[in-house]
Amino acid sequence: MRKPVYSVLAAALVAGASGAAQASAGGMPQLNFHDFAPQIVWLVITFVVLYLVMSKLAVPAISDTLEKRQAKIQGDLDAAEKASEDTRALVAAYEKRLADAREQARRLQRERNEADSAAATARLTELADKLNGRIDEAEKRIAGQRAQVLEGLEDMAHDIAAEVYGKLAGQPADAGALKAKIAAAKGGQ
Amino acid sequence: MHSPMEQFEIKRLFNLHIGSLDASYTNSALWMTIAVICAFFVFVVGMQKKALVPGRLQSMAELGYEFVAGMVRDNVGSAGKKYFPFVLTLFVFILFCNLLGLVPYAFTPTSHIIVTFAMAAAVFIGVTVIGFVRHGAHFLSLFVPKGVPFVLLLLLVPIEIISYFVRPFSLSIRLFANMLAGHTMLKVFGGFVVMLGIIGGWAPLAFIVVFTGLELLIAFLQAYVFAILTCLYLNDAIHLHH
Repeated sequence: MRKPVYSVLAAALVAGASGAAQASAGGMPQLNFHDFAPQIVWLVITFVVLYLVMSKLAVPAISDTLEKRQAKIQGDLDAAEKASEDTRALVAAYEKRLADAREQARRLQRERNEADSAAATARLTELADKLNGRIDEAEKRIAGQRAQVLEGLEDMAHDIAAEVYGKLAGQPADAGALKAKIAAAKGGQ
Repeated sequence: MHSPMEQFEIKRLFNLHIGSLDASYTNSALWMTIAVICAFFVFVVGMQKKALVPGRLQSMAELGYEFVAGMVRDNVGSAGKKYFPFVLTLFVFILFCNLLGLVPYAFTPTSHIIVTFAMAAAVFIGVTVIGFVRHGAHFLSLFVPKGVPFVLLLLLVPIEIISYFVRPFSLSIRLFANMLAGHTMLKVFGGFVVMLGIIGGWAPLAFIVVFTGLELLIAFLQAYVFAILTCLYLNDAIHLHH
C-alpha cells in the first residue's frame, strides 16, 4: 500500500530537488531514497508498538483513574451536601425545640400566675368571710349587752323612780302605775 | 567543519534485509525506539500508582491524555472516541520524536520527509476509508459545497478535490520542514560560534539559547498541529461538513 506511494513521492522529490541536491556538498539526506525503506519499516514497528501500549495500557489506566477521581469528588460533594442538609435539619429541630421550650415556659408562668392570684383571692375571701363572721358575732354580742344594759337601766330607773316617789310622796308608789309611766317615758324618747 | 545537513544522515546500526526489503536498524529507528520508551515511561510507568492525587509523572500523563481527549472531543465529537487512541499515539509519538531531537547529538526522525509523509499518508488513507465506510458514495458530497450556483461548482469542485489530495503533502511537509529548518538553523549558528571564536562567538551562542527555547515551542506546536489537523480531517469524514 505504501510502497507505490513513497516511490512516487520519492521520484517527484528527487526530480524536483536533484539539481539543488547535487549542487550542495552532500545533498539532502532526506532525499536519499535507499534510506526510505528502513525508516518506514521502523516507523511502522515503533508506531504500532506505541499504539498498542497506548490503547491497551495507558488509555484504560488513565481513563480509569480520571473516572475514579471524578466519582470520588462527586461522592465527597454529595456527602458534604448531605452533611450540610443534616446540619440544617438539626439546627431547625433545635430551634423548634427551643421555641417550644420557651412557649411552654411562658405558659407555665402564666398558669402559675393565674393560680397564684386565684389562691390569693380565695384566701382573701376566706379572710373577709371570717372577719365578717367575727364582726357579726361582735355586733350580736354588743346588741345583747346593750339590751342587757338597757334592761338594767329600766330596772335601775324603776328603782330610782320608786325611791324618789317614796321620798317625795311619803308612801310607796304603785308599782304597776310606775311601770306604765316609765314605759310611756321611754316610748316618748 | 561539517555540513549543516550532516546531522540528518541516516546511519545503519544493524544491517537487516528481509528478502528484497531493507529493514536495517538505523539511527532514526533508534530514536523512534527511544521516543516509544520515553512515552512508555511517562504514560505507563507514570500511571502505575493510579493515585487519586497524581504525582509529577502521573500529572504529565493525565495532562497529555486530557489535552488530546479535549482536542478530539471538541473537533470530532463523540463519534471520534473510537479514534482517540490513534490520535493520542500520533501526538505523543511526534511530540517525543521532536523533543528528543533537541537533545545534542540526538537524531530527529521527524526531520525526514519520508517519515512524516508515511504518517500523513496513513492519516489520509485512513480518513478516506472511514469516510467511504460511513457514508458510501455520499462521501463524495464532501467535494460539493452546499448552496453554490452550478456554474461556480464547475470551478469549486476541482479546487475542493485538489485541496483534499494536497492534505497529506501539506501535513507532512509542514512538520518535516519545521524540523529541518530548526535543526539546520541551530547547526549553522553553532558553526558561527566556532568561526567567531571566543571574541565574537557569544552573540550566536546567545541566539542559539533563545532559539532552542523557540524550537521547544515548535516541537510541541507541530505535534499539536499534526494531531488537530488529523482531528479536523476525521471530522470531515464523519460529519461531512466543512
